[in-house]
Amino acid sequence: MRKSFIARNPSVLYFLLALSLFTIIVTVLSEAAGIGFLSTSFVKTLGKTLCLCLIAVAMDVVWGYCGILSLGHFAFFGIGGYAVGQWLMYARTEIIVVESLAGSPLPATPQEISDAIGTQIFGVVGSSEFPLIWAFSDSLFLQLLMVVLVPGLLALVFGWLAFRSRVTGVYLSILTQAMTLALSLYLFQNDSGLRGNNGLSGLQNIPGLGSVGQDVISLAFFWASALALALGYILFAWVVSGKMGSVIRAIRDDEARVRFLGYHVESYKLFVFTITAVVAGIAGALYYPQAGIINPAEIAPIASIYLAVWVAIGGRGRLYGAVIGAALVSLLSSYFTGGGAPDINLGFYTILWTDWWLVLLGISFVAVTLFFPKGIGGLFDLLVRKQEPDRQGDYGPDEGSWRQEEGKP
Amino acid sequence: MNSLLEVSGVSVTFDGFKAINNLSISIGEAELRAVIGPNGAGKTTFMDIITGKTKPQSGRVLWGPRSISLLSMSESQIARIGIGRKFQRPTVFEAQTVQDNLDMALKNKRGPFDVLFSRKSKDDLERVAAIAEEIGLTSSLPRPAGELSHGQKQWLEIGMLLAQDPQLLLVDEPAAGMTPAEREHTTDLLKRAAQTRAVVVVEHDMEFVRRLDCKVTVLHEGRVLAEGSLDHVTQNQDVIDVYLGR
Repeated sequence: MRKSFIARNPSVLYFLLALSLFTIIVTVLSEAAGIGFLSTSFVKTLGKTLCLCLIAVAMDVVWGYCGILSLGHFAFFGIGGYAVGQWLMYARTEIIVVESLAGSPLPATPQEISDAIGTQIFGVVGSSEFPLIWAFSDSLFLQLLMVVLVPGLLALVFGWLAFRSRVTGVYLSILTQAMTLALSLYLFQNDSGLRGNNGLSGLQNIPGLGSVGQDVISLAFFWASALALALGYILFAWVVSGKMGSVIRAIRDDEARVRFLGYHVESYKLFVFTITAVVAGIAGALYYPQAGIINPAEIAPIASIYLAVWVAIGGRGRLYGAVIGAALVSLLSSYFTGGGAPDINLGFYTILWTDWWLVLLGISFVAVTLFFPKGIGGLFDLLVRKQEPDRQGDYGPDEGSWRQEEGKP
Repeated sequence: MNSLLEVSGVSVTFDGFKAINNLSISIGEAELRAVIGPNGAGKTTFMDIITGKTKPQSGRVLWGPRSISLLSMSESQIARIGIGRKFQRPTVFEAQTVQDNLDMALKNKRGPFDVLFSRKSKDDLERVAAIAEEIGLTSSLPRPAGELSHGQKQWLEIGMLLAQDPQLLLVDEPAAGMTPAEREHTTDLLKRAAQTRAVVVVEHDMEFVRRLDCKVTVLHEGRVLAEGSLDHVTQNQDVIDVYLGR
């Protein structure tokens, strides 16, 4: 008998139920569709958190399952954000420019409109020319294609070069970090074509939806993020289950042995690296319209290190662990650094959480790695294990009594 | 006799140390062969060369009736054309079940997308069940491989080799850490495997080699010192001097 995918992976069902329930609750409490208990900005925070959960799931697959500690996945996230941001910024500026030029005595030529958009967008970096990188920015479809293609291709080329030369472990982490740093430094330059350290802004205003309030838009993005997380979770649960998952985990545990079994390890790593990069790009494309602004600092290596911390705290090697880690730590982080947490006055010293949050996070990271290597997700094991009887032998001496195996649920 | 594997004039140097020195060995199509030799004789390096882990500086390694050179192939390609290897230390995937370990080794397509879209066929399950039966691990199929005893891990690894269905099995010290009864079982298993394919056993233990009852190659300082039946090589003066005499 072949069991269905859900029956073999019950945690997927529980996760989807929990996510749907969460989505319904947030919708009911939102300003747009419910009683207005949750502010629009908080709905945005929750939507962004779901995107972070999605990239954390991707990170868990690449690190927790395949053993590649990539410190570059936030670069793919950022690229996804930039790709969608280019269209958002172009299309919205176009609307504004066309409106303002409509008042002029002569109708504006397409060239004038294009120049005016260029001046508007690139004025901050002292330019008005459209760089080549903006060639497709007038097309939503092409830019959405970029969300998937650019991270995918970059991961494919980078991964091919790195895995082919058998770079592994810490060296590979350093290499991915170097890639991230190089990309972020490049984007910081004004002539990179993506507005240097100003980044892209005003992304929360969706072109053509000027009359729709932010409360509705925030809820729509929240739903889209929840849907993306659900689909991403199912995709990765499928990838890491069955024989593929078996091979991926085997590569993590003993790469050389897998090679002698006849598997081309490099292709598998490349597959995992690329597919997670694509999902990271999609997560970024949903995140930044909710954040409203993207700049090169978002791509800096520290972001990818945070990602690894989330996954480690949540529990490597289980997808829901990554979700829990990302949600918990990123929400706590915005609570503590956003001034939400009350400062603690010790008399001789006042603990300002904005300064001390990183210390707290660092201590929890060390504590989790030392004492709970399975992370928060490991707590679920305790729950499941309780159901198994702690019995060594059979249930009784006579023939009819249960054998040991029968006592197991 | 048709030779399946032809190693000729192979030399490997590690930082000036000649691990393998102009080595030539030929293995027939359905042959059981024991390779013995003192520590540092180059037994493991010999296996590394065949399986593509180490590239020799000179010499040829030819495979099969079409005499394909193995030297330009990657480890995984060599494994796919039919050379299986068992390591000295049992290396099974401890976090995964015995069933998963065998499934992974089972001869099937190895590409990432083949594996991603693969479904367990009835035939696969039967093959795994048959191998589990043969290695005596039927009741342990759902257990994690890490829970097995040392001897059982050795068998699981031999089972994974059989599942790969290779034409040539390279087995490094299969009996290490086994009880006498387990050793006997292992000998039978290897002998049976050698009826349909070539099996090369690297071993320290003379008793074990005697029980295998096959042609023996003695390596010393990276070259072949003597070759023939066990009685023949043990009477060879060179062998007595460098290996048995000590």
